[in-house]
Amino acid sequence: MLINEIEHRLIEHLIFEWARRIDENRVEAITELLAPNGRYTVQSRFNADRNLPHCVIDCHSPAQLRDRILSMRIANIYEPHHYRHMISGIQILSKEQKTFEVVSNFTIIRTMELDGQIQIVFTGQAKDQIQIENNQGVFIKRHLIFDSRTIETLLVIPI
Amino acid sequence: MLEKTITMHQDLRSIANPARIWPEEGVSRAPYWTYTDPNIYLLEQANIFRGHSWHYLGLEAEVPNSGDYKTTYIGDTSVLMVRSEEGLINGMVNRCAHRGNMVCRDAFGTAESLYCVYHAWSYDLKGNLKNAAFSRGIRGEGGLPKDFDKAQHGLTQLRTQTIGGLVFATFSQEVESLEEWLGDVAYGIKRLLTRPLKVLGYDTQRIHSNWKNYHENPRDSYHANILHTFYGTFGLSRQSQESGMVLDQFGKHSCFYTKAGTEKNDANYQSTTSELRSHNDQLKLEDPSILKWVDEIGDGVSVQILSTYPSFVLHQIANSLATRQLLPKGQGQCDLVWTYFGFADDDEQTTQRRLMQINLAGSAGMISVEDAAVCEMTYRAIADGQVGNSFIEMGGKDLTSGGSSKLSERAIRNFWHNYRQDMHL
Repeated sequence: MLINEIEHRLIEHLIFEWARRIDENRVEAITELLAPNGRYTVQSRFNADRNLPHCVIDCHSPAQLRDRILSMRIANIYEPHHYRHMISGIQILSKEQKTFEVVSNFTIIRTMELDGQIQIVFTGQAKDQIQIENNQGVFIKRHLIFDSRTIETLLVIPI
Repeated sequence: MLEKTITMHQDLRSIANPARIWPEEGVSRAPYWTYTDPNIYLLEQANIFRGHSWHYLGLEAEVPNSGDYKTTYIGDTSVLMVRSEEGLINGMVNRCAHRGNMVCRDAFGTAESLYCVYHAWSYDLKGNLKNAAFSRGIRGEGGLPKDFDKAQHGLTQLRTQTIGGLVFATFSQEVESLEEWLGDVAYGIKRLLTRPLKVLGYDTQRIHSNWKNYHENPRDSYHANILHTFYGTFGLSRQSQESGMVLDQFGKHSCFYTKAGTEKNDANYQSTTSELRSHNDQLKLEDPSILKWVDEIGDGVSVQILSTYPSFVLHQIANSLATRQLLPKGQGQCDLVWTYFGFADDDEQTTQRRLMQINLAGSAGMISVEDAAVCEMTYRAIADGQVGNSFIEMGGKDLTSGGSSKLSERAIRNFWHNYRQDMHL
């Protein structure tokens, strides 16, 4: 497997960019990073380890992800909060033509706006399928597996 | 306004350990100390969770083979659900009869016998003690007394019964059978769970509120179309839909239902694949396929929320099916464990539809994500619970007023009625 420096940087950039758009409250903009036939799923390790298909979030297209984000903005009610993503250990596992299998670790810290409470709400592994074309990376598949079987209160802002 | 402030101030000056006296209005009030008082919490464990009620343990499908077990809780008590050699499911307390250690520590597992790692006491799949290590000592020294009777030292066994593939257990020898206890609400289970089930996965939501804040929620049909604005925001009309509520004769359990697509009369398959249509051209879902519902049972019911006293919910939301088990974790926290399932004979398309609709409910559910947030905000607002009562008069003040209307808090009043009886309050 031969991966050049540019591909490596583009992959890193894509993963960081997804997180930064969420952390900067530009959540809508992550849908631009998902390919038109892309899939975005969030699943607990508890289910993944047992081969159970349940995902807490399962979007089969950027349109479904946009619907979820619109619902978050205008329909859903929750205590205002922000995320900060910490990402580490980005590793490219394989390359097939223009498609790369990539894993990385994430830690997500949630800060509540009203009382300022800070808490780690997710740790886990991202399993991504990334395509690079014309010096631009895009997610074909974003499968986020979070380690705890339990979610603190709710998951309304995508991770 | 001023009068109200003075009342609250005076109440705050009252004694440190006030008498717990229920407000004279009765079931149309719930004093906030019932949510926040740690002594009340302990009493609930004894009188409700270890009292005369049936508690959900899981699905038969979670322990399909002999020796399969699941570790769960009834209230604060760690319990096991085990499939025996004979194929029956036994509930028992997950606590070694010797010194109280947890016997099973995996969420699920398979075992020939139940074995405590601390001193190697082992039990059969019904919880009877089979062996205690070195029970006869060594070289005539040590060991258990000669009059030690194994039969007296098994795991605490629970009465265990099933309905529609759901397993319930109770500490009570007096409470009626599960089905009698469920009364008219049993219909909601039998209607839905007609054949063997298949687990699709789990979702646990940790809610920082008292367990009763959540328990009241699925009994509260008044909030449904008000708090949960997903339908309204996207112009998905529910006005024409028929709905109603059933309670058992003692008001312990409730079952709400809504019929979608009742305005359609087409007899073919397409008509039962009804979509909740958008009436708002300005704001709608780009991809409403997530809401596609197939009337599998043929009775038009698109949503059914069934709640049994004190800590169990069975839901059908379109084609997504799940149990919700409410586990109290101290007076200020509870875990809501969602188990999503389908039927063993579902085809791939049906399974995919159920999985897709998981997006609608649960920890990240677009329709109902706000429930946990409201429970937490309520719990923080009632603070130490020394002052104030909730006001529960929608639809009337007593146990029968409000009828089967959804704009009623009748099911909540009935919950508090049963709660007061169990708690002698």
